[in-house]
Formats: sequence, structure tokens, C-alpha cells
Amino acid sequence: MIGNQKARHIFLSLIRRWIFFFFAAEIVFFSITGTNYFSLKNLQNILLASTTVLLLATGETFVIITGGIDLSVGFVVGLSSVVCAKVMVDLEAAGLSQTLSISSGIIAALILGLLPGLVNGLLVANFRVPPFVATFGMYGIAYGSAEIICNNVPVHNLPTSVASMGHGYLFYWLPGKAFTFLSKPENLTRMELKDLISIIPNVTMITFLAIGVFAFILAKTKFGQHTYAIGGCTTAAERAGVNVKNHLIKVYMISSFFASLAGVMYVLRFITGRAPAGSARLLDAVVAVVIGGASLYGGTGTILGTVIGALIIGALEIGLVNLAIPTYNLHIAVGCILILAVLVDQFSPELVHRED
Amino acid sequence: MNAPDPSISLNLNPSRQSKVFGFVGRNWALLFLLFMMIIFSFLGKNFFGLKNFTIIVLGVTSLLLLASGETFVIISGGIDLSIGFIMGFVCVSSAIIMRDLHAAGYSQTVSIMAGSFIGLLLGLIPGLINGVLIAKLRVPPFIATLGMWGIANGLAWRLCEGFPIAFLPPRVRELGMAYIAYFSTKKGFSLFQKPVLTERSDILSLVKIIPLPVLLITIILLIFAFILSRTKFGQHTYSIGGSVDASIRAGINVPMHLIKVYVISSFFASCAGVLLVFKLDMGVHTQYTSSYELFAIAAVVIGGASLMGGQGSILGTVIGVLLIGTLNNGLMMMGLPIFYRYIAVGCILIIAVLIDQFFPELVHRE
Amino acid sequence: MKKIIIILLSLFLLMSFAFSANAKSLKFAFMPGIADPFYFTMEKGAKAKAKELGVQLIVGEFPKAWGPEYQVPILKALVARGDIDLLFTAPTSTEALIPVLKEIHDSGIPVITVDTYIGDGDYSKPSKYSFPLSYIGTDNFLGGQTVAGALAIMLKGKGKVFLENTNPDTSSVINREKGFRAGLKIFPDMELVGVEYCLDVQETAAAQVSAALQKHPDLAAVFGVNVFSAQGAYQAVARSGLQGAVKIATWDATQTLIQALKKGEVDLILAQMPAEMGALCVEWGVKYLKEGAKIPRKVIPGFFIFTKDNVNDPEAQQYIYK
Repeated sequence: MIGNQKARHIFLSLIRRWIFFFFAAEIVFFSITGTNYFSLKNLQNILLASTTVLLLATGETFVIITGGIDLSVGFVVGLSSVVCAKVMVDLEAAGLSQTLSISSGIIAALILGLLPGLVNGLLVANFRVPPFVATFGMYGIAYGSAEIICNNVPVHNLPTSVASMGHGYLFYWLPGKAFTFLSKPENLTRMELKDLISIIPNVTMITFLAIGVFAFILAKTKFGQHTYAIGGCTTAAERAGVNVKNHLIKVYMISSFFASLAGVMYVLRFITGRAPAGSARLLDAVVAVVIGGASLYGGTGTILGTVIGALIIGALEIGLVNLAIPTYNLHIAVGCILILAVLVDQFSPELVHRED
Repeated sequence: MNAPDPSISLNLNPSRQSKVFGFVGRNWALLFLLFMMIIFSFLGKNFFGLKNFTIIVLGVTSLLLLASGETFVIISGGIDLSIGFIMGFVCVSSAIIMRDLHAAGYSQTVSIMAGSFIGLLLGLIPGLINGVLIAKLRVPPFIATLGMWGIANGLAWRLCEGFPIAFLPPRVRELGMAYIAYFSTKKGFSLFQKPVLTERSDILSLVKIIPLPVLLITIILLIFAFILSRTKFGQHTYSIGGSVDASIRAGINVPMHLIKVYVISSFFASCAGVLLVFKLDMGVHTQYTSSYELFAIAAVVIGGASLMGGQGSILGTVIGVLLIGTLNNGLMMMGLPIFYRYIAVGCILIIAVLIDQFFPELVHRE
Repeated sequence: MKKIIIILLSLFLLMSFAFSANAKSLKFAFMPGIADPFYFTMEKGAKAKAKELGVQLIVGEFPKAWGPEYQVPILKALVARGDIDLLFTAPTSTEALIPVLKEIHDSGIPVITVDTYIGDGDYSKPSKYSFPLSYIGTDNFLGGQTVAGALAIMLKGKGKVFLENTNPDTSSVINREKGFRAGLKIFPDMELVGVEYCLDVQETAAAQVSAALQKHPDLAAVFGVNVFSAQGAYQAVARSGLQGAVKIATWDATQTLIQALKKGEVDLILAQMPAEMGALCVEWGVKYLKEGAKIPRKVIPGFFIFTKDNVNDPEAQQYIYK
């Protein structure tokens, strides 16, 4: 009996963490079938390629836990990338130093990025507009404004150090010769450049820093508890003394903040600002959150799950490229994984959602 | 319980003032549509006229069908994100069938009929899967249909590989471009037969009355509006959207009904797909930039449906679609660049729901 | 848990042995700009040439939309395979791709840019973006000008013109638009009355051109900058019964458009040479790697203009996309 229970317990905990196994299996599969898939460079590629989805999905996790959804984030990325790039270009042209214009561009984008969230939050919380509608309206508004600001042309000619920031790594290691922090060792020959090992992209570092902070907020603070409470039952949360309206506004602002951070990361990575920057990533982000175990009815979900969900998509994308498999299979595969993810949850609801 | 009454009729309210408010609140989309048409007629060049209204309606034919199917789903309290790509999938596959049969030497009629029918049938499968996932396996509608969104997109892309599917039987084109009646000052009135004209001014002054696709859509919409508002099936759809538990207690087979609802939505999408073949004379699948599904949902909401379920009507949805179409066409006629139009549509969507919120008891009182 | 880790580790070890040694034939990678008929045709041309020369060609995933955000991850994953000898790609941004391609170049993989370029496309004088071997491309600006000129001749230098574009932010079509505008300036009686974006949705293009025809009943011509906008445009014109009266100019000679030209629904098609461009990349790449040959830094294969008069000519057939 006891042995049986133990086995059952292990089985349960396995199912509860199925996405980890799925992720591991995916990596193993591609490592075996692919070419150099399991290499430091390629794994960092997966992280870099997932930047936008990771950031959007983290913000979206908060919203989805409250039982809402934020469709505007896709184009808020574009809006913030355009604003960020435009401010940088204009300030540098006005004669400001590179550091100053870059930092003001980033700050301007991050502040402006809160605005769509504020409006969404007000509409959802104070005027009881369904989140789907409020944020879809904002989707059109953000896209339109971004195109108008950049005049339908990607913003170019950014300060030169944007590139070195966005493409830089935390550490560089030339085996046996040099180990530097933040900047490449100087005076390398072409052969040495080839052997240079770059470790942890700056962009990935910032991304995970932001995600880490908000993972802590969600898991360990009162704010996080209230978020879950609202998603579980709004009226109960109100009775428990949570200022639901205020809280919802903050949640939508968090989502919007992550979208604009994704926009800033976009500028750093690609040295341009484009209006449709994150649009096609919007539904990928929702998919990542759901694969990560959140329910669209609210009340469940974790940042860790979301991160794994996003990485499952990223690893799959890169893996299929590595195997040179045509693109349509990716859409089909992601669709199937998504449905599978929810089915696993459905068939073991009390197993999966039981509190530890 | 919300009766499936399209929200046109006036209710007897105690005071005249609240009667007016109620009317405005309930029919604001229709009033706004009329208001816009008046404004555009004054400000835009060549806006007002049968020709331009035909252009507006022809421009939104796909959206009309998609949004009407979506209405059923939204009334039942669900959502269907897969419709846009199901449309693309059906459009591409039925075009391929028509092309290949025609190339293999079958007559035009046979290849067109086979292509349309197989296309329509194929389009039912995703709806069936959606329905089973949602009703039997309790997958949330958003996710089941989002999964189908990816799968349908992948399949459609695999079939056409980014190329338009052309070289269809010539009659596809003739049917898609046909009007019910023509009237020209030189050649008089003719049914279905387009008069042969050579002068540009004659061609421009030719009056073309009701395109064939629009007639077809009208018939389909009338049938389903009838089903929704006058039959037991419609009543059950509203009641499921109102409360699933109450519906079960009332003896409705909810899972079965939901499956049917998603099949209907998928059927509308495949109708839109087949119609698109006729309209464009080729099979085309657009990936991400089209966002058909989101605009369809927006139209349904503008038309007065609630995403919580239980409310909405086909008539309202039609008004919602026409509102989006007219806004786009009218603002373009006025010379407003496209991206201002995006902002305008976004704002109107939000205003739509705000009005719903500000007149709640007026709007939704029966 | 420990056992699993050990098994996994040994698997990885096995793999690293299994894939270390392979017969040496050249491996080229092709990274297209977006999934559309132009790049599919380029892929076919390159594949045929690669087969002929015994080169293995690996094609990256066709990005689902235009932009570095879609292209760069795929590109990086492609070169991370580590077995690529040469890369040819159509950069989706003149600036975003500079550091990315530089890194690939620095890791020992020569780069050819095809169709589009980085920087200003001039690799002949030293600059931070002059490292690619060559730019084999289309001059979209010149093409736009050419179309404007050809249309003006067709219309005898007079008339209202409408431009149906696809996506803003896509450098190739935006340059076509710029070139077209510049080309029209030469003809004082030609007027560009409007520009619309259909986002590659053909149905939208048809609706927009219909509305434009309604607004300007005396419209003389429409320039659809790519396959979908052109198809939408001629369908709208055909619906209004004005085929032939309203001239349609377009870009990319797909078989569908050529058929429409034969039927008189399209009047002018500017063909690029995607298949030749793809084949040229492979051929020069082999020459460079095997013989160390010097290859030209910039080649614009030019255009071919299809009209009703030359569409059936035998020598014109090679320019149709297959």
C-alpha cells in the first residue's frame, strides 16, 4: 500500500511537471537529430530568439492569472520600439551625447509604454469593458499610432553604441588567451575571432533580470497573492479587502510595461524601430502562458511555467530550422502541443492543480 | 432569460425620455452607421450611391460570413479564433480541387461543383474537432480554437506554399463577377447578362444591381438569422450562453449543442473560403497580417453581443461589419491615411462597449 | 534523477562523436527574406544550380513576415549548425543585419547578399558593412522609376495614377514606391492620386482599388507593387468593367500574372530574375571557395518588362517565374 502510494505520488508530481519533461525531451530529440543543436552558441540563440515571447508572456501571465487577456501587447512592442528609436535618433541629431540620447530613448519608451496599460486597466477595471475588447481596441490604436510616428518607414541611423550594447555579451573567453567582461578582447585576428566564445547575451541578461523580479513579486509578495485572489474569485477578493480596481489597473500596466521592455530590447537587438515589431508574437505569448499551465479562467499560472512554455516554442522553432524542416510544420506542431497541454491538465485536474 | 429578439423593436418604457435613451443605447450602432453615412456623403467625393455601397458590401463579404458564424459561438459564451485560417484553408483546397479536376479534363460544372462541395465539407472538420475538444474534453474555447488556428494555418500554407492557386475554370470568374441585373441607358435592362459596352463613360454609367455573392450571403444569413431567432436551436444557444447549469437542468444536451455551434461557425468560415475563390478567381491564403478572426469578433461585439455569452443577434453583427466597412471606405474617400483608420476603428470598438456599459439596464432590458 | 542525467550526458557524448566526421562536399545556406513567390523561385533556381555543381544547399525557414525579428533567429540557428561553408541571404533590414552578418563573416563564413543589401549596398569601398563578397540584387528604386516611365509612355504622359502597396516597413516595396514617385515627377501631367496598403491581403487590395476607382472615375492606371496587390487591383478593375481602360502595372512575373497579361487584364509586368539570382549566388560561391576567384562586388541583373506585345516571344519565356 505504502509503496503504491509512493509510486502514485511520484507519478503525480511527474504529471504536474510534464512540461519540464517535454522541454527536456525536445532538447534531447533535436540534439540527436540536429547538427550542432546542443552547443553553447545555439542554446544562446534559443534564448535570444525567445526574447520577445518571453517578455510578452511574462506580462501576459499576470493578466491571465486575473482572468483577463491583453491583446494589445503585440503592437505596444512596435509602438515602444518606434518611440525609443525615434527619441534616440532625434536627440543625437540635436547634439546630445550617445549615452544621454540612448538612455533617454529607453526611459521615454518605458514610460510611454505604461500608457496603453493604464488605459486598458481603466477601461477594464472602472468601466467594466471586457478585456478582450478593450485591449483589441488598443491593438488598433497602438499600431496606427506607431505607423504614424515612424511615417511608415523603419527608424534608422541610431547611435552606433546601440549595436554594441544589443549585440554584446556579458563575458568573452578566448581559451588560453583572454577573458574579458562586457567588451571583446582587443586586436584579435580573424582566426582568433572565430574561436572567441561569447557567454550570456546582454539582452538575455536584462530579460531574465526583469522576469526574475516579477516572478518574485508574483510568487512571494502580497501583490502576487492578490493577483491570484482576483483571478480565483473577484467578489471574494473584494470581501477580503483587496482594492480590485486599483489592482487590475496595475496588472494591465505590468503587461504593458513588459511589452514596452520588449520594444526596447527590439531596438537594442535590431538597431531599428519598426511598427509591426511584435505583432506576430502576440498569440505565441498567449500560447506560452497556457502551455506553462495557466488557465484562461484565471487563478492559476506561474512565471516559471510561462518561461518553460516560451522556451518550448523557441526550441522548437530553432530545432526545425536546424533540421531544415519547412515552416508550416511549426504552426501545426505548436497548435497540437497547445491542445495537448490543456488536455493533460483536463485529464488530471485534481492532480495538477492540487496545492503542494 | 434573454429572448433572441433582434434589438430593433422599441420597448414600452415608463417615461418617454428613457424610451429615447433606450432606443439610442440599443441601436447606437445602427444610428452611428446612418450618421457616418450622412457625414461621408457630404465630405467624401462619390461616396453616396449604389455603386459605392456595393463596393462597401463586396469589400466585407468574408467578414460578414465569418462574423455571423462567430455570433453563434459568442452567444453560446465561447470564442472561435480559428475561423480566419479555416477560411484560408478551405479557399486554397477548394481552388486546388477545381484547378486539378479542370486540368484533368472534367467539365467546368463538375470541377466547380466538386471543388465547392469538398471545400465546404473539409471546412466542417476543424469545427467538429473544436466542438469535441470544447464540449467533451472541456478544453477552453480560446485554446482549442487557438490550436486549430495554428493547425489550419500550417495546412493551408502547406497546400499553397505561398503561391496563389490560379488557372481555375473560367466560369468561376464569371460567377464571382456576376450581378443579378444590369441597367444601361443604351441597352436597357437585362437580367444576369452583362451588356457589351465599349465607351468608358457607358461602362461607368452602367448600373449593376446586387452582386451574386451578396445575394448568396443574404440568403445564408437570413436562414441562420431565422434559426437563431425563431427556432428552438437558437433559444438553446442563448440559454447556454446565459447559464450552462440552468440549460442542463432544463434538459438541453449542452455538449451536443456546443459541437453544433462550432460546426456552424466553421461552416460559415468554409462558406467564406469557397466564396473567396469565386470572388478572387483564385485560392489565396494570407498568414498573419489578415487578422480576420479578430476583426470578426470586433464586429460581433460592436453589434451588441457580449463576450460573456447570452446576447447578440445576426442583424446586430451585420450592422457591426457594415460599420467597420463603411468607416474604412468613407475615411478613405475623405483621404484619411490607412493608419489613422486603424486608430478610428479601435476607438469605435471601445466606445461601442462603453455605451453598452453606460446604458446597461436600458440596453439589455427586455 | 541521477540516472537520467547520466543517460542524457552519455547520449550527448555519443552524438558529438557521431557527427564529427562527414564526407566533405560544399554546404551552402540560403536565408530568404519572407515566404513569397519571389523567394520561392529564387530557391528553385539556386537548388537547380546546386544540384548541377554538387553543392548541398540548406534553405532556412521562410520567415512568416518581413522584418529582422523573424529573420535573425532563423539565420542564427542556420549558421549555428556549424557546417555551413557559405551563406547567401536577403537581409530584411539595412541596419539590423550588419552586426549579425558581421559575426557570421567573422566566424569564417563568407556572405553574399541577394535581392536586398546592408548599409547602402556599396561594398566596393571600405566601411563597417563592406565585408560581404557581393551584392546580387534588384534595384527596387530603379525598377519603380522604370515602371513609372513605361506607364507614362503607355498613357502618353498624362493621367491619374494610383499605387496599391503591401506593407509599410518593408524596404523593397517602399523603395519601389519611392522610385515610382520619382519616376512620375518627370511627367508633369501624371498625378499620383493615392497610396494604400493592403498588408498582403488580396481581398483588401481589391476593396481599396475599388474605392479608389469610385473616388477617381477618371483613373488611368494602377501600380500594384507585388503579386497580391496587383491581383487585387486587376480584379477590382475587371469588376468595374474597365479592363484595358485602366492600365495595371505590376511587379514579379508569376504565371498567374502572365496569364492575366495574356488576357489583357494586366498591361505591364516588371520581372526580376529571382531564379538567375539564386543560381548566380551558388555558382560564384563555388568559384570563390574552390578557385579563389574574384567575384564582382555588385551585380544588378536588371529587369525584363513584359507587355502584351512581347509576352509570347520565345526569348521572353525564361523570365517567367516557375
